[in-house]
Amino acid sequence: MSLLYSLARLLDRISPAPIAYAHCDIPCGIYDPHHSQLAAHTVVRMNDLINQLEKPGTSATPEQRQEYTNKLARYLATKEQHAEMAKNEIRILWGDYFKPEHLKTFPELHDLVWKALKTASKARQEINLQAAEDLLKATNDIASIFWKTKGFETITAKAPYPTERQTVYPKYK
Amino acid sequence: MIRSVTFPLRRFRVEDDSMRPTLAPGDYVVVNRWAYRLRRPAAGDVVVVRDPEAPERFLVKRIFDVNRSRIEVVGDNEGRSRDSRTFGPIPLEEVIGKVWIRLRR
Repeated sequence: MSLLYSLARLLDRISPAPIAYAHCDIPCGIYDPHHSQLAAHTVVRMNDLINQLEKPGTSATPEQRQEYTNKLARYLATKEQHAEMAKNEIRILWGDYFKPEHLKTFPELHDLVWKALKTASKARQEINLQAAEDLLKATNDIASIFWKTKGFETITAKAPYPTERQTVYPKYK
Repeated sequence: MIRSVTFPLRRFRVEDDSMRPTLAPGDYVVVNRWAYRLRRPAAGDVVVVRDPEAPERFLVKRIFDVNRSRIEVVGDNEGRSRDSRTFGPIPLEEVIGKVWIRLRR
């Protein structure tokens, strides 16, 4: 340790030097809330499909039951998958993208994420259209904050998917 | 802070790894804030700039490109650096100054 360094250390104790960050997270920098919104749409869609699916009556043939079971199983599997996907995407935004500075501007963020994750679990566990709708709304709210931190305004428009739910999109300049 | 307006030199303590091997966490740098009064920033200069993503924070990086009113910076440790590749060019007025002295830990 050089004498000058020791001197700087001493000086730092008297009057701390500000920090110059040689900031070092992997410079991927590629984040987008759209994945989480897309996954939420799928969960909504699966609930719709499950609710539209005609349940086999007492007179149903084994083939009809089999077909029903097959469809239901596929919808449920997809719902499971995409609810989990939504959770994962939300966690990535939360853990990797959002910084303390963002939180200062949007203090509601932690609570929003917390509730979004809980809602996603509920949407995963149950056949529950409301939970799916709540999940979509939560992903929209997070998207809205995300785009504001990027300096983009957002619009809310009907999604061009069969779900046709209101979705937050950035207004690209 | 009057001192910051009048005195050209300012100390910073380095944190994080993106400027390795040039600067390591714990190093001190002395920055000359008048360095660019008479000459323009040049590629290769190590500078302290305001973080475009958090104005109250400072970053230390190396200039790799200069255009009319903006500079682009990267960390020497390119695989581990958040810099102009992520946040784009930095306006010249966000440059605090040029690193003049480096005190190695």
